[in-house]
Amino acid sequence: MSAPASPSDLAARIADAHARRAPLRIRGAGTWLDAGRPCAGDPLDIGALAGIVEYTPGDLTITARAGTSLRELDRVTAAEGQWLGLDPAGAPEGTIGATVATASDGPLAIAFGRVRDLVLGLECITGTGEVTRVGGRVVKNVAGFDLVRLHTGAWGTLGVISEVTLRLRARPEVDRAFVVTGDERASLESRLAPLTDLPLAPLALELLDPALSAALGLARGTCLLVRLGGNAERVDAQQRALGALGDVREVDTAVFMRLAADEPSDALVARVSHERTRVAETFRHVLEFCGTHAQWEPLVRASLSRGLVRVVLPISSTRDDVAAANVDWPSFVRTIAPPGAHVSWERLPAEAWPHVPCAVADTISTGLRDALDPARVLNAGLLGEPARRADAVPRADARRVLA
Amino acid sequence: MITAGLADALRSIVGPRWVKQRPAELTAYDSDALPGYRATPSFVVLPASRDEVIAVVRLLAQHGVPFVPRGAGTGLSGGALANDAVIIGLNRLTRIHAIDAGNRIAHVEPGVVNAVLQREVAPFGLQYAPDPSSQSACTIGGNVAENAGGPHCLKYGVTLNHVAAVTVCLPNGELVQFGDPASERDGYDLCGLFIGSEGCFGIATDVWVRLLPVAPAVRTLLADFPSLTDAARAVSAIIATGIVPAALEMMDQATIRAVEASIYAAGYPTDVAAVLLAEVDGLEAGLDADARTIERCCREAGARDVRIARTDGDRARLWQGRKKAFGALGRIAPHLVVQDAVVPRTRLPDVLETIAAIGARHGVAVCNVFHAGDGNIHPNISYDASDHAQAERVHAAMSEIMQACIDAGGTITGEHGVGLDKLGYMDALFTEPSLAAMCAVREVFDPDRRANPGKVVPVHACREWGGRR
Ligand SMILES: Cc1cc2nc3c(=O)[nH]c(=O)nc-3n(C[C@H](O)[C@H](O)[C@H](O)COP(=O)(O)OP(=O)(O)OC[C@H]3O[C@@H](n4cnc5c(N)ncnc54)[C@H](O)[C@@H]3O)c2cc1C
Repeated sequence: MSAPASPSDLAARIADAHARRAPLRIRGAGTWLDAGRPCAGDPLDIGALAGIVEYTPGDLTITARAGTSLRELDRVTAAEGQWLGLDPAGAPEGTIGATVATASDGPLAIAFGRVRDLVLGLECITGTGEVTRVGGRVVKNVAGFDLVRLHTGAWGTLGVISEVTLRLRARPEVDRAFVVTGDERASLESRLAPLTDLPLAPLALELLDPALSAALGLARGTCLLVRLGGNAERVDAQQRALGALGDVREVDTAVFMRLAADEPSDALVARVSHERTRVAETFRHVLEFCGTHAQWEPLVRASLSRGLVRVVLPISSTRDDVAAANVDWPSFVRTIAPPGAHVSWERLPAEAWPHVPCAVADTISTGLRDALDPARVLNAGLLGEPARRADAVPRADARRVLA
Repeated sequence: MITAGLADALRSIVGPRWVKQRPAELTAYDSDALPGYRATPSFVVLPASRDEVIAVVRLLAQHGVPFVPRGAGTGLSGGALANDAVIIGLNRLTRIHAIDAGNRIAHVEPGVVNAVLQREVAPFGLQYAPDPSSQSACTIGGNVAENAGGPHCLKYGVTLNHVAAVTVCLPNGELVQFGDPASERDGYDLCGLFIGSEGCFGIATDVWVRLLPVAPAVRTLLADFPSLTDAARAVSAIIATGIVPAALEMMDQATIRAVEASIYAAGYPTDVAAVLLAEVDGLEAGLDADARTIERCCREAGARDVRIARTDGDRARLWQGRKKAFGALGRIAPHLVVQDAVVPRTRLPDVLETIAAIGARHGVAVCNVFHAGDGNIHPNISYDASDHAQAERVHAAMSEIMQACIDAGGTITGEHGVGLDKLGYMDALFTEPSLAAMCAVREVFDPDRRANPGKVVPVHACREWGGRR
């Protein structure tokens, strides 16, 4: 079937699927359809719904159709000296709709916020084909319940995003990138210790493992990749401050684009998140874990101040090498993260997914799904949701955390 | 049903002193600082702990009795008012359970007052960024329920951007946690959804707020302008440079005069049309350059004078005028409506003119003191609510102002919430299916519609959805 050319077309398609109880597989640019659990359905292409709807540079906001690529958004805003400040992993052909639906962000999030902090409004078609508009076009808005946050990161399971309004930033006057290398024999903790007191407010600060450093041609060992922005005086002062962390070398800021885009597309990917004070520990744990699967040459990086470690295991999730590796998946998906940390899987082989706990199995999440997509036609199964509300589990979290 | 037996049962949970029933006691709970709206609750229950909140909510659920959570009652939108419902006051839940300076997170009870939290985290060199002007009274629970902002959210963001997790006592008495204090998780952003839910999704009993290091350096400037339009142009020019000021606040002449005539006098010039209070903070390096850029933008936009606070005392004084502006305005007349709306930044000049014209047409004096950098305006009207004709005119002017903001591509509230006051504008702002979706979401949390009933989404919008499925 042809791709919907307007939100009303899209709504009609969804209403029809709802009536027929026929699952839909929502696609943007199709660059990342292998993320998440196996999910089948009639393809519903958002790609044709592309283009800028409204852009008033003075407001620092932009409204675009969901199928607009990140590259296009970057091009349009760059002409006005602005940018979105969002640099998720993946190809720049990826669409803004999918970026919001999957809440994908990157190194710049430590300065500009995560996707949830950047989205101001959405047009979203519910699973019954109702066109809803939530949030708005202004930077501050508390009118009505915050369904913007609900749809952001819902992977399309509560509605198909057809239009997005985002907050923009002016591009920094000066924007430079630096690599910091240090004594490889010293512990990670001692190498990172000076960070707590340094006068730094970086746009990005990533710790790269030796494999990733080498892949990007940056360093031989573990390195810090730092992006500094602002007026010249501020950037210069911070550059000097970096000296306390090791040897500082300037590199082209394009390295951040490569960091995002060069990630192997055929790989197992996980994000491991823990308290920021434990990031070195988390990083080391992940590397040690990967060491036990050394044949896969992992690439690992961490957004330090977020306590977030991103792991890429360049191995096809479909090819035979998974089968050949004879992985104990229940243990694999559990032990990649240290105790107390949380792991979010982006890509895994089909046979591994059943061992990953479902994040939306609770009664509230299931209730929300029932409220907005009662026939479960939108990306059915992608999040591993229970088929019926009766199968939902209570959110038992609260007591545990408080205990 | 509210029966004498229920009151007794509540007393046995919280202790006899903490169930308020006498009319004289209830008057303290009949307003939320918004003139023109009063409602007397059936009674007020003041639990002292999370467990007592749960027990109270369970009991009310068994009896099918609606309830309204309440913090400090500073909401200004009628959200904390209760008609034929029980108020659950959270003012006794004032413990700060933990401050984890390393991970920059604090675990607090909902009744903790915003300014108290600020004071307690300050010794760690940390701050809680959202700083509503009402911070000396309003509670963290109220901030979460309203997604409160403040002058400094231009740079730092609103409550949503600073809350990692909440535990919520659902209207059926079940305790759940949304978000996670220690890590980022997948799954629906229920914490984000809860923030700004105005007491309709349940009661926040624990809040984990993110803390930020106090900025090592700060510069505060005051620029004065011969016209509001010039001041608004300066705002756009500053934003366009790429500098993100920590705050960018505007006050018009009527506000300035009220402030200067009060005990909060800050030394603002009273003969100008507007002043702009701008602040930049962050690393010391480069900050003076930013301050000079802002000064230049202001002068180019027509500022008569720009001065930079030299000392902490200077700075505190400049801010005092802004923070106490509402208090000063409140002294002019018996009542003050503090309105709240947002327009796209570039529309500020023409919307401010439209507002002045609306005021003139209705013979009411509108004065403006607001978060200019966000386009978040607060058109305020001082009046005497006992004069019915005047109250009518104020109401008519406010409705037109709201419509003007909607027409400009804006919204009806940037930080005070919909409550009761803005219910009537929700149909103009949202389509029917959008409101229906909000209702459907609310029903997931509160199928019996007992938590803060009748607020936020007009009831008629809720019936539609049910019929369609
Ligand atoms: C002079 C003045 C200046 C102000 N300036 C600002 C400003 O700069 N920025 C801003 O954002 N706001 C401002 N406000 C509005 C108000 O102070 C904020 O919205 C504040 O967050 C309300 O907190 P509260 O404790 O008074 O809440 P309340 O008024 O008691 O309650 C507000 C709403 O929250 C609900 N609620 C309260 N506690 C809980 C809880 N624990 N769980 C669930 N729901 C709950 C209530 O049911 C109600 O719907 C101002 C108000 C005044 C009077």
